[in-house]
Amino acid sequence: MGGLPGPGTLGRLVPFVLLLAFLVYPVVGAIVRGLVAGPGPSSVETLTSGITLRVFAFSTWQAVLSTVLSVVLGLPGAFLFARLRFHGRGLVRALLIVPFVLPPIVVVVGFIRMFGAYGIVDSVAMVVTGSSTTVVDLATGVVGIVLAHAFYNVPLVILMVSSSLERLDPGLEESAELLGAGTLQRLRHIVLPHILPSVAASAVLTFLFCFMSFPIVLSLGQGRYKTIEVMIYDSFRWFEYGRASTLAVVQVLVTMTLAVLYSRLATADGSATGRTRYARTVALGEVPAVLKALALVYVGVLVLLVAGPVAAVAHAAFYDPVSATYTLDGVTNMFVAGAGGGLLPLVNSVLYATLATLLAVALGIPLAYARRDAGGWGRSLVSMMVLLPLGVSSITIAYGLMMSLAIPLGLTTSPWPLIVIAQTVLGLPFTAKSIGIALDRIDPELLDQADSLGASGLQRLLFVELPLLAPGVLVGAVFAFAMAIGEMSATMFIALPQNYTLAVVIYRDLAVRKFVQAGAASLFLVAACVVSFLVIERLSEESGGGVL
Amino acid sequence: MSRSYRSVYIVLCPTTPLYNTDIRVSKVEEYTPRRDPKKIVAVAALAVIVLVAGVAVLNTQLAGRTTLKVYTYGSFMMWGDDPSTIDEVVFGPFEEQYGVDVEIVRLPTDASGVLSRLMAEADNPVADVVIGIDNIQVLQRGSIPIDDVMTETEIADIVFEPYTPADLDLIDQELIDALDPEHRLLPFDFGLVTLVYQQSTINVTTHPELANLTFADLATPGLASALVTENPHESSPGLSFLLTEIAVQEKLVGTDWRQWWSDVKGLIDVQPGWDEAWSVWDSDPSRHLLVSYGTDPAYSSHYLNGSAPDTAVATVYYNGAHYAWMQVEGIGLVKGAPHPDLARAFIDYCLTGAVQAHIALNQWMYPANMHVELPSVYQYALHPDDVELLNSVLTRSDIAADLTGWLSEWDEIMVG
Repeated sequence: MGGLPGPGTLGRLVPFVLLLAFLVYPVVGAIVRGLVAGPGPSSVETLTSGITLRVFAFSTWQAVLSTVLSVVLGLPGAFLFARLRFHGRGLVRALLIVPFVLPPIVVVVGFIRMFGAYGIVDSVAMVVTGSSTTVVDLATGVVGIVLAHAFYNVPLVILMVSSSLERLDPGLEESAELLGAGTLQRLRHIVLPHILPSVAASAVLTFLFCFMSFPIVLSLGQGRYKTIEVMIYDSFRWFEYGRASTLAVVQVLVTMTLAVLYSRLATADGSATGRTRYARTVALGEVPAVLKALALVYVGVLVLLVAGPVAAVAHAAFYDPVSATYTLDGVTNMFVAGAGGGLLPLVNSVLYATLATLLAVALGIPLAYARRDAGGWGRSLVSMMVLLPLGVSSITIAYGLMMSLAIPLGLTTSPWPLIVIAQTVLGLPFTAKSIGIALDRIDPELLDQADSLGASGLQRLLFVELPLLAPGVLVGAVFAFAMAIGEMSATMFIALPQNYTLAVVIYRDLAVRKFVQAGAASLFLVAACVVSFLVIERLSEESGGGVL
Repeated sequence: MSRSYRSVYIVLCPTTPLYNTDIRVSKVEEYTPRRDPKKIVAVAALAVIVLVAGVAVLNTQLAGRTTLKVYTYGSFMMWGDDPSTIDEVVFGPFEEQYGVDVEIVRLPTDASGVLSRLMAEADNPVADVVIGIDNIQVLQRGSIPIDDVMTETEIADIVFEPYTPADLDLIDQELIDALDPEHRLLPFDFGLVTLVYQQSTINVTTHPELANLTFADLATPGLASALVTENPHESSPGLSFLLTEIAVQEKLVGTDWRQWWSDVKGLIDVQPGWDEAWSVWDSDPSRHLLVSYGTDPAYSSHYLNGSAPDTAVATVYYNGAHYAWMQVEGIGLVKGAPHPDLARAFIDYCLTGAVQAHIALNQWMYPANMHVELPSVYQYALHPDDVELLNSVLTRSDIAADLTGWLSEWDEIMVG
């Protein structure tokens, strides 16, 4: 692969230096300070405590349950999405990304309105059974937690697995068909082995998200259920830094083991790469009636689970539960400048997320090159670095940024650069991954041609390599943007009022019962995300391919 | 069509899709001049610089007059009829008198988060004054390096500078003693944490035990499964309720406080914060008991235009008396504040009627200044004089010694 230079060694070092400075150093600093200086329970006390064990066990089994449910619910969707041609595919894909940007507290409110006692589902059940009291409550306890996790992660499974399916070379299936293999045989020997790595990778990522789940568990767990992340949060609040640090280390060990596993699985997935366009699809009209009916039932369930809470959010933007009336106050408030108005947070959200996305792309490109060219453990190391932001407690990141950077640098009065950094770090796993996949697909001969035609290094990079990487860059950018604009933990910890983003404002408004304002802000967040996704979809005909 | 032609085509026209195999040789003849990459880099760099500058300008306040920074929690004074102008109304006169700007920095968190922030900034303080740390939070402990040895001490000692205003007699001594006899924090407002319910849903006719509520009543499945409270780790009313239970059961009734929580585990609903708990209470008719504030009936009446409130309070009853926990929220001078003299003047101002008169209808707490006249809807609120205070049952030293232990034990019972 000698003909594939990419950015020089220096360029490739930049992202590592930045990750070390803005992620590893603050987090390690915070953890070491806590372990050494406390106060609060020591590592030994924390690790031998029965409660830690219970919390660890709960974090694990609820994540396993959530992962199984997400994969089971996501797989049929992935097949439908990859194999069925229908109008509005692009829009559905854009909508599938919405759960990513919704701040968890909004999801909680939407969930309670949809699935909770006296919610929409319960109301229907009450009418059906003729009961005057609540019949089903799917929004509390383990059931609620697992369902909410499925809400977040079913779309993830669908997007990841369908993109892998789209890259399955139809020639293989056709050959098998010619040789007399039945549908089940083809499924078992060709399709399943092909998508297995992507299923496993999406499962690992889902597990990771659920294992570290925080506001969902806090709100729906009724105080009975805690994940390690919740315990870290509690410990920080009570200045028990010793316990917080110990738990953060435990968490990082678990998540990084999974991250390595994930990078290995994703690599296996990438090796079977073909181009999106080859995917074999059928039109809706060609599907047999029985399958159509099954698909319809499935889509119904999916709409209920994923679109239901989002619709509840949209409703909340116009309906004031305190006065029980419909109002446009929330929407008009979005255009009010000044204190309490939604304009500055809206502008902040978009600006920070745009900057963070640009940075995440700029850093993601050299990281992708570094990952491709490194071999064996070097590759795993790069993968780990890239996935680190997903595996470190966001509370610890926020605290570390505050202690190690904001205060020594005097940024506490104007902390917006830190917010951008925190958001960049969160988006990096997505840009690096999708750019990496696009990179693997570049035909090295093209670059040789550019060289032999006398293109300078910069010309080759700008006019040949980057345009070829464009689909990967764009798709990664969408996810990075979505993660950035929905980020809340770090922003909340660091921000002063002039830095509030929509996600933070939603929290603030809910806390003082400004429900319509919170609802409207959520709706804007959803709209910003869907619109940007559709724009990207237009820009890149070849989008969607294997961002994760 | 040879492969190299295709490659040439792609190199020259990079925007064309890769998989386009319909390549006309004529394209190659329309040889476009090579673009200069430096221009593109320059334009991109300029765009990024403009964007960064835009963000920086938008987020930087113009340096003008001296600015006094006041840290508080997100919902401070946000419950009135017009929260958007409240700072101007309440603190405008001080700004005019001293020719300074007062910036009320509502951190997007609760009082506990404010304390974390102060602790983090202890070496290089940004705020001058803090409002909203209460009589339990002031007892929290942390550690700082003293002569290079990490030493555990009260966080209030690290972040607050004691201050005794000349007009301290505006405030009831009982409040000062309940909050902080050392004057690191001075009372700003106060209120009772107690159970509330909607009379349209349940009342003393349907549930006679509400009139003289005991924890034994609250342990019955009927009432326990109606109760919504807040997590004591994450919410100050939740913590106040835990202390209420401990004070009543352990100190008055004389039983193990842990028993009640074991009895109601799985029946009561524990929400992370007050707003989430309120949402459940408001939307779920089967959850009609909420751990909230004694001023809730006044709030309810205010929004029913002064008529009798729908919300009623149920206090805990023991041996002929009603009990409740009193929360006192404080105002304090930040140790190492950038403008200490101005900060002291501001604290003095906050204890006068100019600020205190706005507390009742905007903060829905009682003003600490005992000379301030209360609005008429406060006839429906529960005043600390109406009950026996649990603060004297469970003393400051009890709490300082056992608080973290209680929280761990609460976890042991409730989690899992």
